[in-house]
Amino acid sequence: MKGHVSAAGCFARGVKLSLSRPYLAASLWLMQLLLASVLVLPVSNALHTLLDHSSTGSRMVADPDFGWWETIRRVHPDLLGNFPDAIESATSVEGVKSSALAELEGIGATAISLCLLGIVLHAFALGGIFGALREPQSSLVVIGREGMRRFPAFLAFTLAAMAAALAAYRWIYLASGEAWRDRLNDLDTEGQAMALTAARLLAFLLVLAAIKLVADSVRAIWVARPDLPAVSRLFAGLAAAFSRPARLFGVLLLYLISGSVLYVLWIVLDPSAGGEARFALVPLILAQQVFVFLRSLLKVGYYAGVSEALTRVPSPEYSYVPAPAIDEPLVSVDRASDEAGVERPAGAI
Amino acid sequence: MPRAKGRSALLAFASYASTALSAFFVARAPLTAAPLTRPIASYQISCRLDTEKKTVEGTELMTWTNTTARPAPTLQFHLYLNAFRNTLSTFWRESGGEHRGNRLPESWGSIELTRMTLADGSDLLPALSYISPDDANPYDRTVAEVQLPRAVAPGETISVSIDFRSRLPRVSTRTGWKGDFFLVGQWFPKIGVFQEKGWNCHQFHASSEFFADFGDYDVSIDVPARYRGKVGATGVRVEERNLPGDRVLYRFRQESVHDFAWTADPEYLVVDDVFREPGVADTQIRLLLQPEHRAQQARYLQATKTAMSGYGRVLGPYPYPTLTVVDPPWGARGAGGMEYPTFITGGTHRMAPASVQSPEGVTIHEFGHQYFYGLLASNEFEEPWLDEGFNEYMEDRIVGAAYGSSHPVLTAFGFRFPIGIAIHRPLDTNRRYFPVATEDVLASPAWKFRTRASYGAHVYSKTALAMAMLERSIGTPTMNRALRLYADRWRFRHPTTADWIAAVHDATGRDYRWFFDRTFFSSGAVDYAVVEAKSEKWTPPKGLFESDGRLVEKPPPGLAAAKGWESVVTVARLGEVAMPVDIVLRFEGGHAYHSLWDGEARWKRFRVDRGPRLLEAIVDPNEKILLDLDRTNNGRLVQADPRAASRWTARAVFWMQNLIDSLTIAW
Repeated sequence: MKGHVSAAGCFARGVKLSLSRPYLAASLWLMQLLLASVLVLPVSNALHTLLDHSSTGSRMVADPDFGWWETIRRVHPDLLGNFPDAIESATSVEGVKSSALAELEGIGATAISLCLLGIVLHAFALGGIFGALREPQSSLVVIGREGMRRFPAFLAFTLAAMAAALAAYRWIYLASGEAWRDRLNDLDTEGQAMALTAARLLAFLLVLAAIKLVADSVRAIWVARPDLPAVSRLFAGLAAAFSRPARLFGVLLLYLISGSVLYVLWIVLDPSAGGEARFALVPLILAQQVFVFLRSLLKVGYYAGVSEALTRVPSPEYSYVPAPAIDEPLVSVDRASDEAGVERPAGAI
Repeated sequence: MPRAKGRSALLAFASYASTALSAFFVARAPLTAAPLTRPIASYQISCRLDTEKKTVEGTELMTWTNTTARPAPTLQFHLYLNAFRNTLSTFWRESGGEHRGNRLPESWGSIELTRMTLADGSDLLPALSYISPDDANPYDRTVAEVQLPRAVAPGETISVSIDFRSRLPRVSTRTGWKGDFFLVGQWFPKIGVFQEKGWNCHQFHASSEFFADFGDYDVSIDVPARYRGKVGATGVRVEERNLPGDRVLYRFRQESVHDFAWTADPEYLVVDDVFREPGVADTQIRLLLQPEHRAQQARYLQATKTAMSGYGRVLGPYPYPTLTVVDPPWGARGAGGMEYPTFITGGTHRMAPASVQSPEGVTIHEFGHQYFYGLLASNEFEEPWLDEGFNEYMEDRIVGAAYGSSHPVLTAFGFRFPIGIAIHRPLDTNRRYFPVATEDVLASPAWKFRTRASYGAHVYSKTALAMAMLERSIGTPTMNRALRLYADRWRFRHPTTADWIAAVHDATGRDYRWFFDRTFFSSGAVDYAVVEAKSEKWTPPKGLFESDGRLVEKPPPGLAAAKGWESVVTVARLGEVAMPVDIVLRFEGGHAYHSLWDGEARWKRFRVDRGPRLLEAIVDPNEKILLDLDRTNNGRLVQADPRAASRWTARAVFWMQNLIDSLTIAW
């Protein structure tokens, strides 16, 4: 039976899958929490030293203080180094200079290192999530097993995608900015300049999205087609991305929109502000972690949606509908060398 | 207003005639009831704008009076546009090819003198040479000196006729063109200021502005007809006349000013308004607005009126009949934020929300220069704080009172977005001073600061903070009295820092020289801190005590039974500069102990025995010492309050989680 498979349908099914297996999101949430918690002691100790006995601190329970922030950055450059400047310069025409890394210090430098570690661990987690999504019964153990098995390949995909994204930043966003830097001022109105900058940004984001979707397609097919040799899986993944770009892009867009809605809700509800009572800390931390967990649920939903978009096709051979019984034992199926001993669910591509 | 139908031709003619007559008389009426001041350097200029070549060719009749007691054997002229002549000029070398953080365009400007004669026809050009009194740069052409056949005697007036050709650069630093937009400033040969010690005629520097004598200006500007109605300038427009060749001539006159600038842009939206305040003559406001900033018209006008009222109430009424406010177009920001007599340029962004106070801040600031520069024509080369710094202080006062706190901007993708943290005037808006606090002495010539950042931080911000400190010390009414005294005494003259100090002395009845020595004339840092604050339960003393002439191991009953807390507070001066500073100790039960410390010693300790429990010690609780480098150490709680640190730690971890989440989804 042939039916229409929409991006919304794929994303909805992905979110449903994610909700039915919350431990997948929990694993992501836990990973991010553990990474971020590395900063707890340095940040906490610095802030307690600076604020606990300071009269300024008592004014800063709910709201930040511009003067305090300026003074701390100036008086204690060892805490952050040029981290805020480096982040801000990312959107400029010059971009982040490599020398900015050399000037990072303290918590700022640690944050960058943690982000890099997070990216590596995420590659591992993705192997686990994609693998676990294809298991009828899965658990954290399955995530770990599947993640470890696919870690080298997935890390390679992640690094390749990172390199491509950095190249896009350099050669699309920054290069176009450099090319237009002087001519931007020649435009008649600021509106035109804003439109041009928006176009630069949009082009960069579209390329980023394409890179990401290609990488995710390769990951999804890599897991879904263990019967193929590695090179074939790679090309099959690439082909899958190019064969269904609209659907994939739709899934990504829905994920970004739903994530943005979460952020808007967070800003509107503003759980971070509010009373200054001591006990407000616990509800604040709980609200924050629920928010991160919800984001993780959406993230897993997105990956499941990508998998759905690539594998849920109307023709029987690509359907989740159980395939006709095969007499031959599964062990006789050709597999890639790294897939030995893995049982494929019936009907998987 | 729609035209009434059926009106008779006679009535229409009468109406037209009435308008024309009134325009005729307005144009010919004296600009002010009496001359505001005696002219020293007056100019009659006729010029023609060539929009293709970006040039202004003109003829100038300059009339100058030697008001000193010494003869003037030479004349010195500013040729400011030669700052843009090449990369060897002093301006270009000092700026490093940048202005306000933007790269200067490689679009060159120049001014050439093609004729210079005295009234008797003597040719002065052969006797002209270029000099560089500030840095001896042989390539700088911004000051020219001409040897006169005969010295100008004290009190004597001479006239010099000059033909000149000015080539304008692409807008970068207060002057130039962008497309059809022209801001024509510093564009004509302008005589220096002759003083008892000789000529005061500095080169054009990257970090300095101008200094000139007052005079009367009568300027005719010939522009293509497409600029009809779209020309604004210093002074009152007294004539509009068609010229052959599809051109139009505008004539502007203004007496008692010391510079003249003009602008033309066929895209301008021209908005006229009037500033009215009881007891003050009306001022015609003309706003020349970019069409894409149409939505900000009301904000521009409101800011202009706020400024006119705010400055006028403190420093005396604005004396001129007109004020022109220019909104530069996109790509011509170098023309923004500039002041000329009766003529200012603002600047804004297409979608600037009110919270960023743009165009309000810049409009109010530039109007303020009508006083600090315009009427109080201090030497901007040698004492730039007297105009920029004083004006920054007044801007903080007026903007703060009218608009409250603003929000800082985050620059992203080349545009500016407001963020949620409130910043308060004057302390937060002048924080750029603190990172360079000890780099320079504020009272330095404009071109002698270590860096341009230091120039801005000191001249603008340190002065503004020091002035606000003084205000908080002597009180706002007394400060206003000092400012008014200074403004009244030096209106249409050239005041100096000593004159300001004298005005403060006369207004307060006290000598504040010490204050200026430690702020204006010092590069030292101010930093006071509470370095110790503790409170422990009183314990009865132990040891041997006198009782009935004997030594016993028992304290006197009064001491043995005493209760309360023993508190110790140490306040330290961490900076080099000492200032009198308030100290307050807050105790349980709402008790407080206030003390004024002269701040001279390195530290001072307070001890309170058997008192209530100490909660907090604060040095400078009312934020009077605005130059204090580190206010985070100004207050100390005895009991730690971990709430802020805990909550911000939670937020930091949360942000980190989100950062990791966002980065990991990207690939």
